[in-house]
Amino acid sequence: MPRPEQKIIKLTIDGREVEAVQGTMLVDAAKAADVEIPYFCYEPKLGQPVGACRMCLVEIEGIPKLQTSCSTPVRDGMVVNTQVQRVKDAQNSVVEFLLVNHPLDCPVCDKGGECPLQDITFGWGKGRSRVIEPKRHFVKPLALSPLIAIDRERCILCYRCVRFSQEVAEDWQLIFTERGSHTFVGTHDGHPYVAPFSGNIIELCPVGALTSQPYRFRARPWDIEGAGGVCTLCPAQCNVEFTVRDDKVLRVLSRENPGVDDGWLCDKGRFAYQAIHVDERITTPLVRDGSGELRPASWEEAITAAGALGQHQGSVGALVGGQASNEEAFLIGRLLREGLASADIDSRPHGTVELGLTRALAAPKLQATVQDIEFAHTVLVLGTEPLDDAPILDLRIRKGVRRHGVKLAIASARPSALDPNAQLSIRYAPGAVVEFLSGLEWALTAPGSGETHELAQLLRDGGEDVVILWGESLPPAALAILLRIAEKLGLAEREGAGLLEIPAGANARGIREAGALPNAGPGYADTTTGRDAAEIAAATAAGDIRALYLFGVDPLRDLGARAEWQAALARAELVVAHAGVLTEGIAAHADVVFPAESSAEKEGTIVHPDGRLQRLRVAIKHPGQVRAGWQVIGELAKAVGLDLHVLTAGMAFKQLVAAVPFYAGLTLEQIGGRGVRWPETEAAAAMPAGTPAAQVAVTDVASGPRPEVNGHLAAGTYRSIWASPEVEISPALKFTVAEQLVELAPEDAARLGIEHGSTVQVAQNGTRLSGRAVIRTGVPAGSVFLATGIAKDSANALDELMVEVVKSR
Amino acid sequence: MPHLLFDRIDEPGLNTIPVYERRGGYSALRKALQMPPEAIVEELSQSGIRGRGGAGFKMGQKASFLPKGEMAKYLTCNADESEPGTFKDRELMQKSPHTLIEGIIITTYATGIHHAFIYIRGEYQLQADILDAAVAEAEAAGYLGENILGSGHSLKLVVHRGAGAYICGEETGLLDSLEGKRGNPRLKPPFPAIEGLYAGPTLVNNVETLGTVPTIINMGGADYAKIGTEGSTGTKLISVSGDVQRPGNYEIELGISSREIIYGLCGGPKPGRTVKMWFPGGSSSPVLLEQDLDLSYDFDTLAKAGSMLGSGAIIVVDDSHSAFEVMQKVVKFYAHESCGKCVPCREGTNWTNKFLARIEAGESTPMDLDILASVQSQIIGNCLCVLGDAMAMPVGSIVAKFRDELEAEIEAARERANALPLTDTEDLLALSAH
Amino acid sequence: MSSIDRRPPVRRYEHGSRVPGWDEAVDLTKPPATVPDPALTPVPEELRAAIEAEMAKYPDRKSASIPALHLAQRHHGWCSPEAIKQVACVMRLTPAYLTSVASFYDMFYLQPKPKHDVYVCTNITCSLLGADELYERMCEAAEGHDISVRGFECLGACDIGPMASVDGEYVGPLNLDDPKLIVEDIEAGRPVLEHKQLRRRAVADAKGRVDDFDGIAPVGQEGN
Repeated sequence: MPRPEQKIIKLTIDGREVEAVQGTMLVDAAKAADVEIPYFCYEPKLGQPVGACRMCLVEIEGIPKLQTSCSTPVRDGMVVNTQVQRVKDAQNSVVEFLLVNHPLDCPVCDKGGECPLQDITFGWGKGRSRVIEPKRHFVKPLALSPLIAIDRERCILCYRCVRFSQEVAEDWQLIFTERGSHTFVGTHDGHPYVAPFSGNIIELCPVGALTSQPYRFRARPWDIEGAGGVCTLCPAQCNVEFTVRDDKVLRVLSRENPGVDDGWLCDKGRFAYQAIHVDERITTPLVRDGSGELRPASWEEAITAAGALGQHQGSVGALVGGQASNEEAFLIGRLLREGLASADIDSRPHGTVELGLTRALAAPKLQATVQDIEFAHTVLVLGTEPLDDAPILDLRIRKGVRRHGVKLAIASARPSALDPNAQLSIRYAPGAVVEFLSGLEWALTAPGSGETHELAQLLRDGGEDVVILWGESLPPAALAILLRIAEKLGLAEREGAGLLEIPAGANARGIREAGALPNAGPGYADTTTGRDAAEIAAATAAGDIRALYLFGVDPLRDLGARAEWQAALARAELVVAHAGVLTEGIAAHADVVFPAESSAEKEGTIVHPDGRLQRLRVAIKHPGQVRAGWQVIGELAKAVGLDLHVLTAGMAFKQLVAAVPFYAGLTLEQIGGRGVRWPETEAAAAMPAGTPAAQVAVTDVASGPRPEVNGHLAAGTYRSIWASPEVEISPALKFTVAEQLVELAPEDAARLGIEHGSTVQVAQNGTRLSGRAVIRTGVPAGSVFLATGIAKDSANALDELMVEVVKSR
Repeated sequence: MPHLLFDRIDEPGLNTIPVYERRGGYSALRKALQMPPEAIVEELSQSGIRGRGGAGFKMGQKASFLPKGEMAKYLTCNADESEPGTFKDRELMQKSPHTLIEGIIITTYATGIHHAFIYIRGEYQLQADILDAAVAEAEAAGYLGENILGSGHSLKLVVHRGAGAYICGEETGLLDSLEGKRGNPRLKPPFPAIEGLYAGPTLVNNVETLGTVPTIINMGGADYAKIGTEGSTGTKLISVSGDVQRPGNYEIELGISSREIIYGLCGGPKPGRTVKMWFPGGSSSPVLLEQDLDLSYDFDTLAKAGSMLGSGAIIVVDDSHSAFEVMQKVVKFYAHESCGKCVPCREGTNWTNKFLARIEAGESTPMDLDILASVQSQIIGNCLCVLGDAMAMPVGSIVAKFRDELEAEIEAARERANALPLTDTEDLLALSAH
Repeated sequence: MSSIDRRPPVRRYEHGSRVPGWDEAVDLTKPPATVPDPALTPVPEELRAAIEAEMAKYPDRKSASIPALHLAQRHHGWCSPEAIKQVACVMRLTPAYLTSVASFYDMFYLQPKPKHDVYVCTNITCSLLGADELYERMCEAAEGHDISVRGFECLGACDIGPMASVDGEYVGPLNLDDPKLIVEDIEAGRPVLEHKQLRRRAVADAKGRVDDFDGIAPVGQEGN
């Protein structure tokens, strides 16, 4: 679906000729021309205007009745009056009607001072009420969910929240019930409105009817400051505004960026800020003492202890977690390669990809943007669940399907939340993605029938602009085929087509570009090849690597091969970690723990999966003893005898830009608040060319028949949106904390005698996990899906495909 | 005057095809299928027939707004007859359902529509059952379905039962309801003829309007236009109720005097009573008085008199009832039926309702009538659909025409409530400014 | 400020909401109400088949939500949360969507209700003719019986006002003795007030009538 062309027309508003894009709603055209028309219900992000509040009535010459400017597209030559008496009368009337039942309890209302109803009443109301009839009075506030309080007296029924639920998130949980003046916002039969994006309705509410449980009465608008930032809890990197009071983050709001988030946030991004200010957070360096206890230490002490890394020259493995900034990843690469004579650095949890293929998949021309999703002819979601892996993209895909007729196809092992929106959903068995993709590649050129051919036809004939979202967990063999499919579909040649990787870590792309890979230096440069994460684990367990440097990563939680990592961490002589929370592996094995920054404290840059460099800026000062990551790495480097020459975050950025050819010329000012997509810059030409699709090596895909052992199930894994340490320690999000939910097909559950919600054991080679059974229609028989990234019973303890699921006794 | 729709409508078995056909039924369809579709639209235009549901929009013109060519287009017959005082469609659907079905088939053929719905209010269970049976019968007889009578025209007709909401009689509220949603009216534009049901072009017509189509085809549009007045052609089914001796449905030629209807056909109020006021077109129409009885009953005359013909439902109120009582019933109804979508209607009807409760409780003053009237004028023209206006117009007219009586009612209510007598303006100001 | 002191007190009216739910918080122990999983939501087979038949009539399955709710209400007696969940499961919608729809329309009951329905029209015409008193009598007569009595807006039968719809059967004009008879007929399981049923009544318009019509004469024309 190509983007619409824009035509400029002229119209007259209040006697002044102004220009506007044809088809713009009058209210927006007026705003652009500095004429403010008040409104409540209008919000273009929510879809078609509803015209419910009637606040935006204006006079249009030639039309006898007043018209709602929110629903009237501008036309050439239109003459509009917003200041005539009949318009003012209508505005006065609507304000008076709105206040017939509004309690006007502004002094005790959390919205006071930032309330559109207050502002509009002041600006467009008569200032005098003739209502002496009693108003509605109801119990308030009431819980709508653990996160949201509802005050039904204040509600003006503007439709915004229910439209969000129905037309943006499409969860259809929040509704209007009853009719007329009895209408109220509610849910079905007292169920809470719990959904991944529910918090957006707080921000949409134009009165104090929907308020944030964690924010209520924590501050008044004049107590707070807004500070722009970027959420680093997942690769979607939504732009946020931190509400700051006394150096504490009290709230997170969206800082709308159409190229990134479209003005929405998920509830993790909106509420997990609480993790910044909780007791569980580490705010001082910790050093393991003689008795084996981690105890608070001074920075000098900690740096000295960590400086012992220098004694393990050539024998240090480093892992960089997804929340590291580009600068941090870059400096860690220098520390390893220049200061510790080691090339054993990795940031990918799912194994190494050959450098030529990495470069080819990251080629600037092949990159799709977030907005391409919305306007593509076809979107294929491959091996990823956007709702879990980059939630805000789930909304973007829905928007494309709903508004622009994007044809959606899903190919995944696990059923997707997007299946109901998809024209085609294909399930391959866990572990069989390579076979699936080679079948698809073949189907692109050969005739045939079946769902793979249907998909091939959709991709080939459904319009040129195809966007493929793919998950980082795809194995390297799958990526080689993906590249060839992209080549066959000509995705690199089309502006609106391409690939968009959903990586495992929030800044995975930036970290790789900064050189935190075993087979590439900064800018995907050739380098001495080191060990990848799995090899580091094996080498450490074998004693070949003696020290580990873990920057924002806990292998027991974030990586696979748990048993091997357990052995490695136990064997390592020195483990130095940066961490915000003491997760399992860090608590048990780290010898030195540096307190990590939160994204609200960090200064640096990160890269969005579509290549957009974004800035993290300091919103609050560091709590406790926390220091900037770049600074700590610099001090650690000094302790091992290397001077990185970084005295400010800006200096680190300059070094990065100098080292990455395709960032050449970029400045922090250019990146600014909206970011810059480097693939669109001239410097992008400096990106080293990857292996041509025709030459990528494809390993043998014929894996042979699947072993059918006594009704064992093929296990796939998923990482829930809520599976993160930040969520676990945020008091408001405690109710979401992810546990091991074992998703079973109804047939398998019946065969195994397992009931929905019962406790089950998942076993493999003597390893047992405990979990709760979830019977889910759509899970193919023979498959089972297990959660990873959770604190307890994570599926990363299982190494092989086939598992046994049994009832707990 | 010819009886076009009600002629011997009580004939037993008329709701079945054999009797209907024996009386000439489905001959108009056969004739129409021989005509080019545009010619049928032209006949409808020539007939001058105006919509019988309430708005009085010219049917031929509406049909011509529909885009030509093959696409997903729909026809929806509005059988949600909910305007208080209106029950004419009920009689037609119950006794001669095939008249409606034939009209629908002809209209869809003329406009290239292959999917039609009859949206009937849920309370009309008997009539819906009869329509269901008639549709099944027509399908079996080849009048519905694929390739109707070999013409190449196909039509699927579905009888859809509502569930009790006045607002679903508003055409866009009806469409939302038919799409399975709450029956909230939509913003117009886009008008249904451009973007209606399932976002496709949609023709929405009243039962009686569609039921008249076979007659127009049989007579020819030009001849039909000779009946009635120039601006209001044809006959009209009217429902007369309230304080008359012979309430019920009548078919009249548009343009006869209102007195002829109320007194001539319906026998007027009970002996000894006189007409105090009458709603000429359902409870949404501004009331008229005894002195207006000689007005010609047609669209234009009633509009000129400040009211409207609406759905053709005349409610007569005699002098045994108080204006306040009538107003209260009207207001309660609209407050109950407001869908709640737009502010002036939702809050305005609700506020007016509370206002009248306050009058009844003896807690208001005659000055409050000014506020009451002003609230009505604040509703009119500012709403999303016409429901708000439908309350505000009759209420406004009652306040204007029965001001003295209402003031007396307020004083009487105050006395009943033992409120202090109003002695000076200071008191009044103190009250109304509070 | 003596004049203000003499103000009559302005009574506070109860909010008059018929709405259950206004004052209720959600139950935080419940899971969110998403589209019910067919594997976990048993639906009576005849109800499922009937709903699916309705869905097949429309280009968009959502159009069947009102017919489906009618079916579920008939099956369960009211639109109980369970009934709504079953419809949601068959139609692949959220229960909330259907609750929202059901609560908009007067004929759906979101609270348990007696078996039989009597809607007494209390709109303008019928009330001019004495419907308010009739409604009170009807309520009294139905007391202790499995009958729900509601004052209803115009039912579209003002020609037989004051009237009522008894389980869908329109009867009128009713006098103050009829409520008792209606209750008796309901309890006996026989047709209600047969001599006052609208289905048997002739049209008022004289030219609409035929000689062999064996129904009831129009109101006010009994002599003709």
